[in-house]
Amino acid sequence: MPVTAESANKPVASLMGVSKKIGSKTLVSDLTLDIPPGQIFGFLGPNGAGKTTTIRMMVGLISISQGDILICGRSIKDHFEEAVANIGAIVENPEMYKFLSGYQNLRQYARMVPGVTKQRIDEVVELVGLGQRINDKVKTYSLGMRQRLGVAQALLHRPKLLILDEPTNGLDPQGIRELRDYLRRLCQTEGTTVFVSSHLLSEMELMCDSVAIIQNGRLIDVKQLKAVGDAVLPVTETLFEVNDPEGALTLLGQGVIKNGGVTVEAGREEIAELNAALVAAGFKVYSIRALSRSLEDQFLEITGGEGIG
Amino acid sequence: MGEFAALIHNENIKIYSRVRTWVMLAILGLMSALFPALIYFTSSSNPVGVWDNFQLTVTISFFLNTIFTVVIASDAVAGEFSWGTIKLLLIRPWSRSKILLSKYISMILFSLLSTAVLIAFGYASSLIFSGQDTSDVTNLMSWSPAAYSFMDLFCRYIELFLTAALAFMVSSVFRASGLAIGLSLFIMFTKNIFVQIFSPERFEWAQYLIFTHMDLRVYLLSDTGPGGVSLYFSAAVLAAYYVLFLAVSWLVFSKRDVAA
Repeated sequence: MPVTAESANKPVASLMGVSKKIGSKTLVSDLTLDIPPGQIFGFLGPNGAGKTTTIRMMVGLISISQGDILICGRSIKDHFEEAVANIGAIVENPEMYKFLSGYQNLRQYARMVPGVTKQRIDEVVELVGLGQRINDKVKTYSLGMRQRLGVAQALLHRPKLLILDEPTNGLDPQGIRELRDYLRRLCQTEGTTVFVSSHLLSEMELMCDSVAIIQNGRLIDVKQLKAVGDAVLPVTETLFEVNDPEGALTLLGQGVIKNGGVTVEAGREEIAELNAALVAAGFKVYSIRALSRSLEDQFLEITGGEGIG
Repeated sequence: MGEFAALIHNENIKIYSRVRTWVMLAILGLMSALFPALIYFTSSSNPVGVWDNFQLTVTISFFLNTIFTVVIASDAVAGEFSWGTIKLLLIRPWSRSKILLSKYISMILFSLLSTAVLIAFGYASSLIFSGQDTSDVTNLMSWSPAAYSFMDLFCRYIELFLTAALAFMVSSVFRASGLAIGLSLFIMFTKNIFVQIFSPERFEWAQYLIFTHMDLRVYLLSDTGPGGVSLYFSAAVLAAYYVLFLAVSWLVFSKRDVAA
């Protein structure tokens, strides 16, 4: 498929002033968001923030009270069939027909879209690593295996937009790692855009290129996580772990004793000089760590650490 | 997009890959084969005729047939909701109307299959367990025994068809298969009581109740039905209810917010 400059920058999904009201309750309020192509885009928010509600609207499971959602330029409201054909999704837990085997489940979904061959099914099974277990009944599967099968059914028709709602739920660390790797691979080799929701911040930090943060049904911030190119590293808080923090503090003449060591604010070069000074004065330096603010800190700062409101 | 037949194929797989379905069909076949034998050995009169035997068997086993079809109809939509699979089903490039239609058609196909099982086993067994054909049903109007039996079956099938449509509607509206099964069977067993209490002879409005017309077999022996109405009137009332049931199922299914 030729990718023109124009289509390369066109958002895969556009949420335009989307609201969802049930009775007097507003679950999602005036959400406007463009999901750029070829990215892993995170959708972050505390429990009850409206993540799943938004995803349900994107795939047409629930009606949109106000606004509209375009998937590859087609409205999910007015052209549901054409719009949803570009989406592969898992909404909440991937529930499958338990009395069928994993393979039979995939065949069910394969029949519903044109052009999914037997070969493609095998390919997807291979990708998610279900291997021989694919022929067992789904009722014998663990949660992690169901999650994998869920990803498999979402990938069958090579969707342009893959929507995953809390995909790391129930996966073991190994599974999370694999998921991350093949989402990344998918993004790079097939150009699939991945929209992934989670409340697990550290996970999102590792996985996503950008994140949108939502709270109480409102979009709070959109952040780019992976800096493009080599940005100049700013002055950061750096922790020196030494055998005698008080002595080191006196020698350095700056910083505070925090986190079991001396914490100073210094630039790159300065850190090297400080280290040399410490070593020259006979201190034992066990480790030097940059205390960068994690996404978690930023997230808590942005959302104010509020509970479900 | 894609072939509609594939949707029906999918629905059929969901029905026939469950053990439950085969157990139901086996019970139905067994019952239909067993009753002619029971009737044959317990009959006090002369050896029963083939068609008499078959008739009696159908009377009994058709209840079972209706119950089993209602079970399938009740699970059609409600099952997807209780399994949670509805979410993955509805995000395919198919309109909800078509998905609902495929479910309805596969349910009707099951009812035809189960009725065929009933007829095949019931008739074969009746042939084995019967004396010479001196049938009482021959005396009924101008029908031949075979024609009468099949018209009788046809009327019963219409009743099943409507009961199943009701179950399908309840399944789609309340997403609860238990309620759908319960309600349809309640109506199946109490409709005669309803007809007695709200007799169309006494109350004119009772002519418009579905209960009054579900049993079309009265027209096999008489030109006028309950309350003196004609077959066309009964058929029109039934058709109206049928359309209503399906319209409600469709409306609710296609507009519903799937948040479960």
